[in-house]
Amino acid sequence: MTLELLLIVAFGGAFLTYFLGKISGKLRNGFAVLNSLAVLVMTSFFYGMNIEKPVAFGFFDITFVLRMNMVSWFFAITIVGIGFLSIIYSLRYMQNKEKLDYYYFTTLFINASMLGTVLCGDLLSFFIFWEMMSWSTYLLISYRGNDRAVFAGIKYIIMSIIGSMVMLVGIISLYVNFGTLEITELATLIQLAPLGYTLFILILFSISFAVINAFWPFHTWLPDAHAEAVSPFSSILSAVLVRKGMYGLYLFMYMILGLDLLNKLRFGVISFNGVFCWIGAITIVFAALTALLQSDSKRILAWSTVGQGGYMILGVAFSTALGVAGGTFHILNHCIYIGLLFFVAGAIEYSTGGIRDLDSLGGLIKKMPVTFIGAIIGVSGLIGLPLTCGFVSKWMIYKTLILNGSPLLAFFAFLGTWGTILYGYKFIHNIFLGQLPEEHENVKEVPFSMQLPIIILSVLVILFGVLPGIPLKVVNVMDTYMGFESLNINLAGVVSETGALDTINIFMVILVVFVIVGLLFKAGRKSRKTDQYDNYAAGAAIPKGRYNYTVNFYNPLSTIIEKYLKDVVDAFYMKLTGFVTNVGDGIRKLYTGYVGNYIMYIVVFLAFLILIQLRWSVF
Amino acid sequence: MIIVQIILVPIIALVMGLLFMGLFRKMMARIQWRYGPPITQPLIDIIRMFSQKTVTHGFMFEAGLVLSLAGSIVVALFLPMGNITVFETGGLLVVLYLMLLGPLGIALSSGESGNPNSSIGISRKFLLALGYEVPMLLVLLAVMTHYNTISLAEIVRIQAYRGWSFGSFPLLLSGIAYFLILPAILGIRPFEIAGAAQEISSGPKAEYGGKFMAFSTLQHGLQEFIGLSLFVNLFLGGGDLFGLFGMYANTFLGNLLAIVVLLIKMLLVFAVGVCINAAFPRFRIEQALNYLWTWPSLFAFAGIVVIMITG
Repeated sequence: MTLELLLIVAFGGAFLTYFLGKISGKLRNGFAVLNSLAVLVMTSFFYGMNIEKPVAFGFFDITFVLRMNMVSWFFAITIVGIGFLSIIYSLRYMQNKEKLDYYYFTTLFINASMLGTVLCGDLLSFFIFWEMMSWSTYLLISYRGNDRAVFAGIKYIIMSIIGSMVMLVGIISLYVNFGTLEITELATLIQLAPLGYTLFILILFSISFAVINAFWPFHTWLPDAHAEAVSPFSSILSAVLVRKGMYGLYLFMYMILGLDLLNKLRFGVISFNGVFCWIGAITIVFAALTALLQSDSKRILAWSTVGQGGYMILGVAFSTALGVAGGTFHILNHCIYIGLLFFVAGAIEYSTGGIRDLDSLGGLIKKMPVTFIGAIIGVSGLIGLPLTCGFVSKWMIYKTLILNGSPLLAFFAFLGTWGTILYGYKFIHNIFLGQLPEEHENVKEVPFSMQLPIIILSVLVILFGVLPGIPLKVVNVMDTYMGFESLNINLAGVVSETGALDTINIFMVILVVFVIVGLLFKAGRKSRKTDQYDNYAAGAAIPKGRYNYTVNFYNPLSTIIEKYLKDVVDAFYMKLTGFVTNVGDGIRKLYTGYVGNYIMYIVVFLAFLILIQLRWSVF
Repeated sequence: MIIVQIILVPIIALVMGLLFMGLFRKMMARIQWRYGPPITQPLIDIIRMFSQKTVTHGFMFEAGLVLSLAGSIVVALFLPMGNITVFETGGLLVVLYLMLLGPLGIALSSGESGNPNSSIGISRKFLLALGYEVPMLLVLLAVMTHYNTISLAEIVRIQAYRGWSFGSFPLLLSGIAYFLILPAILGIRPFEIAGAAQEISSGPKAEYGGKFMAFSTLQHGLQEFIGLSLFVNLFLGGGDLFGLFGMYANTFLGNLLAIVVLLIKMLLVFAVGVCINAAFPRFRIEQALNYLWTWPSLFAFAGIVVIMITG
């Protein structure tokens, strides 16, 4: 099996799906599932391989290089995994919606182009795949076609284009200077380049990757895009697509520049990595507090995507073996639980007829138990409770920050977690707990094909939380590949003299204590079940259907912090957009449509040229 | 040996939790010139409540409560008890995260009851927690940075020969900050916001009766135990008494004495807390946040800056 075959299957499958859709809907759905499964299986076969091979493409003499190593494999397997689950989820979620051929084609095409970005070994094809990914994402964000969806799409594509143009400048500059775009050759050549130039290149690429990764202050496209996209695609968007930015950073920071060169990029106390760490810290806290104020289920998750990106960059930019491993592991964990949570939000939308407003839901635990369990496991992972995968990666990041003398960074990371508890609980409480409103009396659990992705991802959250050694083995290989020393990993976590982590130990303790306490509880007198209206109200009459506390769940806090949390960056961008629009409108006024006016412009311009010639005789 | 520890430590913690609650009621009564209930009243209540009729609101209503009590017991197992720490893996970071299980369990459980008073109580509890976590995290990070370890047991061991953190210069500011937020951690007045009996029918506890109430009471007692134990272990040297029992080190008697010393220290700190409780009315949540984010946070921040400078 070869890498070309993998890409051909991925892209060819996407196109074929589109044309099969013209024949029959069932055939198209079946083929889409099979295709994404085939890509998943094929990708998993590449585990542990190190391939680098040029493919004759004969285009301007630039060779098209494909490569596969542990870093590529790690990102590739998350892409195809979430892609597969998302297609399964779509079968029922997207049923009876229009433009389905287009939807399946675009989803598969995005997955294929994402796969392309991580599998290519030269920057030109990287850029081409990157652009294919960006443009098709735009098409799918605006899939719903209403004003908000189109606005979100436009916002995304403008920021994304700015990012890729900056990247293009960097690529051209590299080609002009070194005459090659192959990553392995660049990695050796750039070591000899002047430091200033290296920094310039790194900053260009970092801006591009920060936009797609939604780091503050480039985060503004993400909440709109994630909220407006259809849920299965929100999952892909949040779990893997934005993390292509992290892949780009790995590529440039550690695989092209390398650790030694990176450490030299330092001016006094300010280092390139230090700046990135602080951007991460700001992103974490800002996003966590903003998420508190949201009342739209998918917007909360979108903001949490922004915030979790902060943890990754904090770990990765800190440049220690443990930190990079923690950041990398966090990418995987985030991919699992945010994918899960978007599936949950989608399930709620599906069952309640498209409700995303957290203020009008409640009590759905009795109607949708599987989704509830998915939600609670997902939120636990997001918070990073022990026994979920999120805990292990966060533990590694915190430990790095504390023991390497950056307590303030650690503080911001911790604070973000406490913000996460608040909005995570709000997410669960407002949807599943509290009283069930009467209009949702007939809500049903989602069909099995939508439960399946939720169940699989929930199992993974727990599995990787109790046995983190499985993914950490891969992460450790990546670490060494990028030039860090190898960590001492066992099945239950990390072993080291300065405080080891043993998750199996914690798991056993919690399990045993939980069972004992549970048995004690069972031993007590059996309880009678009552309905939700049988409540203690301190003697007051209970108005049915209005006795629920969900709206403005954290009101005292939001009144305090709201005024400090104005998204000035977004306001600035919007103002800039308004300004550009005004200027454009002003210029358009010149085009009056009267031939007389145009002749006048020509005459005035000629007169101007003649004046210049008479005065200074420049021509 | 470890089996005995695993059984004994939670029992000591639970008994101490109940003792704290009994003492609380007795001391408050005496301060208010009443006679007050006997100190064993909470224990008597719990035994009585186990035999009472109860209503339940669903699966999570029960599972959340079990999770909450189990989580708190697990935290007790991770805290140093004198010279003994039953489980050390992951250090203070694990303790910090395990401490979430208690409140989250209660929140999930009483959230399902559908009583808005409970929901308001939980909302307040989380806000208060966010309030005191700001100074508390700064304090914990200061301690961990100063001793350059994430292990709680290690911090206690270092204090035994370098002197208590509370008395040493760079950690004094952090210690003051921790003391200033201690009432909020213990949930006593002026921070009795989440369980305000007169405003929101005791908040999260509103729907609990019988064995539910018993479990929630036990959990509350453990929560007090954890808050106090963390303070004493981090700042007052844990089970160390100026090295007075050094000759009994590593013997059974030494371990026992260390536990006794630890518990006495906790009782003394708690007594101070009760006096604060008696002297103050209740804050509103905004007032609490304003307080927690000014003086204690300033002290904690100053503490961490000093430690970052002095190393």
